[in-house]
Amino acid sequence: MTFLKSISLFVDRKSFVHDIDPITKLYYILFAIIIPIILPSFTISAICVGISILLLLAAKVMRKTLPVYSFVFLVLITVVIIQGLFRPGNETVLFHLGPFAMHKEGLLFALTIALRVTNIVSAFMILVLTTKPSTLVESLVRKGMSPRIGYVIVSVFQIIQEMMSTMSTIMDAQRSRGMETEGKLLTRIKAFIPLLGPVVLGSLINTKERAMALEVRGFNSRNLKTYLYEEKTFPYSKAIQAALLVLTIFAVAWRVFL
Amino acid sequence: MIKVSNLSFSYSEKAQSVLADINLEFDHRTTAIIGQNGAGKTTFVKLLKGLLRASQGEILIGDYDVKMKTAAELARKIGLVFQNPNDQIFKRTVLDEAMFGLLNIKMGKYTAEKLAVSALETVGLGDKLEMNPHDLSLSEKKLLCIASVVAMETDVVIFDEPTIAQDDAGKEIIRKIIQELKKKNKLVMTIIHDMDFVAENFERTIVINKGKVLLDGSTREVFSQKEVLNEANVEPPGITQLAEKLGLKKTILTVEEFLQECAK
Repeated sequence: MTFLKSISLFVDRKSFVHDIDPITKLYYILFAIIIPIILPSFTISAICVGISILLLLAAKVMRKTLPVYSFVFLVLITVVIIQGLFRPGNETVLFHLGPFAMHKEGLLFALTIALRVTNIVSAFMILVLTTKPSTLVESLVRKGMSPRIGYVIVSVFQIIQEMMSTMSTIMDAQRSRGMETEGKLLTRIKAFIPLLGPVVLGSLINTKERAMALEVRGFNSRNLKTYLYEEKTFPYSKAIQAALLVLTIFAVAWRVFL
Repeated sequence: MIKVSNLSFSYSEKAQSVLADINLEFDHRTTAIIGQNGAGKTTFVKLLKGLLRASQGEILIGDYDVKMKTAAELARKIGLVFQNPNDQIFKRTVLDEAMFGLLNIKMGKYTAEKLAVSALETVGLGDKLEMNPHDLSLSEKKLLCIASVVAMETDVVIFDEPTIAQDDAGKEIIRKIIQELKKKNKLVMTIIHDMDFVAENFERTIVINKGKVLLDGSTREVFSQKEVLNEANVEPPGITQLAEKLGLKKTILTVEEFLQECAK
């Protein structure tokens, strides 16, 4: 018996954030990206990050965000160092790092970028960690996205899982017939190359069979289709979407008139 | 030949045990391991082959402690034919495929080719040496995988569902291979759902249910215990059931036995 490892980041919890429909979450992502562009202040970005973190806490998925934040922060630290040291227009020296001087202007600019990136990542994590990929795709198809594109997105999740399982079986078969795949890094690299042929070829064969199976089961039928899942609805979806829209208009007005 | 003591296994610490406290000894009798899907049969043979590491217990193959060897090192001792042939074909010609394992265990090229050709002839692929394995039919691919493992001349050969996709001619080839291996004093084991094939070809049968050994004995003995087999969702072979329904007292395993018994 083999178990397919899920590659989706979705965390199944009971929370009001999970209950919100995927389209409203997409509205929120758009809002979180647009607002700091319209009002490019440090405070606004910080407020947006704060809201996203509160939502992640309410969804009880904060632990799952840590590896993502760690990776993002690792990249951002390099941005902060480079901008702080070398940004054109750096004037005010804050402190020295060996022979190099860290400047206030570059540091503030880098922190603004870091905050914006954190804001976007946080908003996307709300969607990714609290929404099943299939629910998201089905919601988008209901809103008019092509079912073919929807299938491609969902099948990527399935196919990667299947490929990982197939790779493990193929490696077992190779080890069974005397090919060493364990031990030193060089041994592992050597073992990885012959793995690619059967995995890629197997995937091509599967793709052909999958395409035929889809055809046989009426995937290209032009009739209206029944959706597999019931549409996810949240009683306050419309209110949240309207509020986000009003706040965006308000932000534009603030920028233009004040 | 193989001694399994207090063997337990689970895929993760939190997960339920797939196998629990298995104690078995294997001699040279051809042995079938049967049971419903998810019973733990494949996990058991993967443990024998060193592809998985036991959570508890010990497996000895001759003098080898499986824990101390990698699966690749065990390839000289124990061969395993996987269920799906598409997952175990790595080369571009039938001959290269059959030689793959032999070259991995550092056999000389000349001897490897000789053994590979001989095994391929046994399974009826002697005239397709230069063909691309992916151009073979599913049944032929399965026979190629069997030949590739048989060519390695290991002391133990395990077949995972050997009769899948085989017609009568294919089954006959596999039957002959099993007999040949037995004559060479090798231990042949199989995981299988084809009960007719078990009854006709295997001396010993082990029933695994929910990770434990439910029955272990001669195939006739095992197929005579209908109620226990029911517990594992295993049905005796058709001919055994027919004989029982006709009121024959002896547990019948083959059509020939059935005819003999009816003639009495």
